[in-house]
Amino acid sequence: MRRADATEEPAAFERRVYRNAAAHHYMKIGLVLESGERNIGAVQFKQLIVSAVRDLYGEVGGAFNFDVLCYDESALTAVLRVYNSGLVKLWSALTLLGSYKNKLCAVRVMQVSPFLLALSGNSRELDLD
Amino acid sequence: MRAELTSVREVQLPEREISLRHPRVPTLFQLQGKEGGRVFLSVFLSFCLSFCPCLSCVVCSSPQVSVLIPECAVLPATVAGLMDSFGPYYRVRDLPVYKLLEENFLENVLKRGNFYALSYKTRIDEDNTVAFLPTGQLILSVDKDTYERLGLEGKPSQYNHRQVMRYVVTVDVTEKSMAPGSKRYQRVLASLTERVPMKCDFLFSRHKNAAAAAEDGALKALLSQFKYDTHKPILKTHTLKDMLHPSLKSSDLRGDGPLFSPHHFLEWLGAVNLDITCSDPVDSFLSIYNCPEPHTPMSQGMLCTLTGLLLPEDLHSLLQELRNYFDEPKFSSWLAMTVHGFVDSPVAWGTTEHGFLKGGENFYTIVVLNNQDYWLHMATGSHDGCPP
Repeated sequence: MRRADATEEPAAFERRVYRNAAAHHYMKIGLVLESGERNIGAVQFKQLIVSAVRDLYGEVGGAFNFDVLCYDESALTAVLRVYNSGLVKLWSALTLLGSYKNKLCAVRVMQVSPFLLALSGNSRELDLD
Repeated sequence: MRAELTSVREVQLPEREISLRHPRVPTLFQLQGKEGGRVFLSVFLSFCLSFCPCLSCVVCSSPQVSVLIPECAVLPATVAGLMDSFGPYYRVRDLPVYKLLEENFLENVLKRGNFYALSYKTRIDEDNTVAFLPTGQLILSVDKDTYERLGLEGKPSQYNHRQVMRYVVTVDVTEKSMAPGSKRYQRVLASLTERVPMKCDFLFSRHKNAAAAAEDGALKALLSQFKYDTHKPILKTHTLKDMLHPSLKSSDLRGDGPLFSPHHFLEWLGAVNLDITCSDPVDSFLSIYNCPEPHTPMSQGMLCTLTGLLLPEDLHSLLQELRNYFDEPKFSSWLAMTVHGFVDSPVAWGTTEHGFLKGGENFYTIVVLNNQDYWLHMATGSHDGCPP
């Protein structure tokens, strides 16, 4: 939707509203391994998620693209970007992901937002202790 | 679809679409203003005056502000000084809510209109959340059980799903009926002391320019009864090196808007804040993210982030200072300031009710161009009102 003031004057600004218009969703996730292992590279991490999606939805259903925008190897956290159409599939695959190299693991979804910027200023992470 | 400015005085905020008052889906509001600082200021002030005394319109206070200045190696001294002067805030542990309404505190602090409070580590989608606005409203967002025991008049939350599970109680301490000693006052106090002795951690802050001895005394007297810590907002600066940045000129705003969409711009800004680099063109297995077109290389840039309970008055002066940045010619044609709101605040964008649903995000980004035109983005989640 788009709006501007009806008369040419004296408006000084224009207001546009983009309702549900974001193409992507962003997810901040963390991988928890039972073994406490930390040496997983970014590529392995993405491969793990890709195979989780394929396992759950098959070759065709799982054939959607997502990006690993950043990955912190020491904390095993990552920010993913996915098209809205793939969000539910990706999220469900992450939820059901239970093992890595035959060891138990879990994925914690920490924050999901249609704005990447929102992930950089989450007030729930304001820790004063 | 564009109009030129003729008179500053006649600038009005556009009327809101009724259907958009509660968009119910994540929404991005974009405002682009032309022709200079005066307009900018008047729009800005009209926010400030008509919707709680803050532009920060988020709950009247924000947990984080970040400023990005392209082509800048050192943070300008005036901006750095200003950020350093942001007032301290307090974290009070296990404070019973009725303490806020005791006569001494009510008369000397709450009614002066400089005081902000927000319950800390309470989640709006599962816990009881309390906020006090400088306009004199105590807002309790409580679940159904608490509401029924509380016995105070409130409204069902707008974001209930089928069954009403959450209520919002607003107590305006500036009303005559809330004068200490009156029946209503006694009732509210009794509710909060006997029926539901609500207790939680709080973040307190007070606008420092309005220092009055009585006010200070009453605040200290309250704090001294509880365990509390004083915090200063934490400043982090980060120098960006050799990267691409979207080229944005004021002429873009005069036409049909910049070539990239605001979502792409905000994505880029988010990427910079999270230290995400553009993808490797050779190996794009991990990500195919790229800087929006048209872009230009930037040899350096300054990103600074201030985290803590920040007050709208301080943010307002910070914005004023940032606008002065372009008084002298600079290499960059724009800078951006992003203010995030608390995701667990019971109100946002003035006094509209705020909920969480998927993320509770509420923030705005203001892009100041070198000729003082501006581009303002206000983003809301699904459970949020329409920003001013």
